[in-house]
Amino acid sequence: MATAAASRRTVRINGCVAAAQAAKYADVDVITAYPIRPYTATMMALAQMVANGELDAEYIVADSEHSQLSMAHGASSSGARVFTGSSGVGVQFAYELYSPISGSRMPVQMMIADRTLDPPGDFGSEHTDALSTRDMGWLMGWSCDAQEAFDNHLLAFRIGEDPRVLLPQMVCQDGFFVSHITADVDLPDTGQVKEFLPPYKHPYPLDPRHPVSHGPQIMPEQGPPLQLERARAMEGSVPVIEQAHNEFAQIFGRKYDPWLEEFMTDGADVVFFLQGGHGVTARYAIRHMRERGAKVGMVRMKTIRPYPTDRINEVLSRFKVVGVIETNMSLGCVSSGGVLYSEVCGALYESATRPLVLSFMAGMGGEAIVLKEFYWMTQKMLDVQKRGGIEKRTHWVGFEE
Amino acid sequence: MATIDIERQMLPMLGSPNTGARFYNPDLPEGEPFVPGHRTCAGCGPSIQYRMTSKAAGDNTILVGPTGCMYVANSSYLCTPYNVPWAHTQIGSAGSFTAGVAAAYEAMIRKGKWKGKFPNIICEAGDGSVSDIGLASVSGALYRNHDCLIICYDNEQYANTGIQASSRTPYGGMTTFSPPGPKVPEAKTLFPKDLGRMMAAGHPHCYVATASVGYPIDLMNKVRKALNHRGAAFLLMYTPCQKGFVYETPRSIDLGRLVVECGMFPMWEWDPAKREYDYSFRPQNMRGVADYLKLQGRFGHLHAAHIATLQKFANGQWRMMGVEIPQALMDAENPDAHVGMAAAEQAAAIAHTV
Repeated sequence: MATAAASRRTVRINGCVAAAQAAKYADVDVITAYPIRPYTATMMALAQMVANGELDAEYIVADSEHSQLSMAHGASSSGARVFTGSSGVGVQFAYELYSPISGSRMPVQMMIADRTLDPPGDFGSEHTDALSTRDMGWLMGWSCDAQEAFDNHLLAFRIGEDPRVLLPQMVCQDGFFVSHITADVDLPDTGQVKEFLPPYKHPYPLDPRHPVSHGPQIMPEQGPPLQLERARAMEGSVPVIEQAHNEFAQIFGRKYDPWLEEFMTDGADVVFFLQGGHGVTARYAIRHMRERGAKVGMVRMKTIRPYPTDRINEVLSRFKVVGVIETNMSLGCVSSGGVLYSEVCGALYESATRPLVLSFMAGMGGEAIVLKEFYWMTQKMLDVQKRGGIEKRTHWVGFEE
Repeated sequence: MATIDIERQMLPMLGSPNTGARFYNPDLPEGEPFVPGHRTCAGCGPSIQYRMTSKAAGDNTILVGPTGCMYVANSSYLCTPYNVPWAHTQIGSAGSFTAGVAAAYEAMIRKGKWKGKFPNIICEAGDGSVSDIGLASVSGALYRNHDCLIICYDNEQYANTGIQASSRTPYGGMTTFSPPGPKVPEAKTLFPKDLGRMMAAGHPHCYVATASVGYPIDLMNKVRKALNHRGAAFLLMYTPCQKGFVYETPRSIDLGRLVVECGMFPMWEWDPAKREYDYSFRPQNMRGVADYLKLQGRFGHLHAAHIATLQKFANGQWRMMGVEIPQALMDAENPDAHVGMAAAEQAAAIAHTV
């Protein structure tokens, strides 16, 4: 590894470029692009790499996100390593393709830089775009900064293409907060990536020498086994994810818990539960509040599909109050707030020491969650702890006293 | 970066297109990439076309099947009729999925990940897929000039969903979404979308031609020309549907010739390099549209005026091809030259059982 270490370098790039760099290191064969902010910067970077001859890939400018994803499906079905991406309403324009891609077990990789849906359709980050596809059979998780985004893209290729898994991956990052904030990113040596990520080899590609039929019409009684197989692939990815993270740590020297990041949870009574870039602000706020004596911490979920039910049960049961920061909308849902509340409560139902759970609608419209709001939310959690019960399930932060 | 040159296939033309040996030709390839055992209807035009097309293409071929009859009726789980790789894709993804396959092979061969001649990549999409829901997807693939062939097997309706009107359903065509009634006696009121010419006009590098199951050798040669063309190609193929057109099952090939002879389905090729249409294809006869319409229950409700309207449409097609129109066909633009379809009531009764 002596030579490998020699060509490692640290560059200052944003989350979009970090994702593009990861695709380049993975030596993708086909890239399908369609413009929508903010993820566009990833495709701009890749277009330049292809134009410069740094990356040998077919770069296709699609006619829509629907076409982007069907091209990715076709290319992956033929045996190529494929990279695509989108944001906001673009993610939803392609919605039809998510189930066929995971159903045919094609490990397409999709980068998502979140954007609000319409309305409001602004450039800010809300996770509703990607979360609305969470049950379509894609591996899915959020990165909180550019380095983690780079790493998660490599990890996702490795996990999704594993013959025990063969599932597509959505590697998500917050629009702006991650996608357009520059940070120092450690870029590895290509030899390290080769060691970590074997070439993509689908067992049954569309190859004229070994004819196969993909996705024929089926009778109702033939459906359940296929669905069960896909469900098992998702469940079966759990040990593969853990193994990949261990090997990643050995090769690249960065050790991640694949499921949850715990921050200052020792001795905490109340914790925030969230995904993505707001975790960075939360760390700062928590440090500050700890100095003032509040026993607050954070649990940041890194992988939402497959959902780490047992880990969440085990970890969150240690606390008295959990405050879920949604950054997504699920209109008319269990909590009249976001989707994470019910996912958290579902995992905690079997716990003997269930914490009280409340949900915060914060960061909506892609607004930053400022320190003042973290303090306010912490106070709400402490009030709940003191009262021994919640006041209401969902608080819209900034709209209440 | 060292890249590997891509070797492309070059398929020979078959003898005697259009004249002479229409049904037997010693050059005909023996291979059958599309084998029996599927569930299409007897006399199914699209599946006759499918067999001819895949025969012409040979074994180094990949087929793409967007949702439609050639997916639903052909492919049953654990038993499909394709001897070459085949993949289903969504009805709106005809061009895009195909483009993905083509792009994958460009990259994989160039990067040494797959060795062999570039395969024929053929998409078999229905007219609903190409002219309606997947139009942008197909246009995108043709525009970007992927080395592939997109076929629209045109049965002028959504057939596998139970006969609904598409943009290719002709004026006067009865479907379950365009039924005739006292207020709309002619059934479909719009003329069909001019799909072939749209594709020719809008895609600078694309080989485009029309073909019909009535002329098998011509059809197979156009398939080969399209596959030999380096880049994107589009073929619009007339493929009658016994179930939706409501005709006697053995007459599929007859209809494939009558539709050309009556001028309702013009045969031409578009040369993208010269930017010219080739209208040299001539059917053996020219005849009035009534000869074609009267064989089909879907036109059984038409009044004399509607038949005259279709004759005007057909004459317009002849004129566009620069063909001199015989006086008899000019006279047939007059409603007085026609009587309503004699079998109107009978045909409606058949159609209602569909």
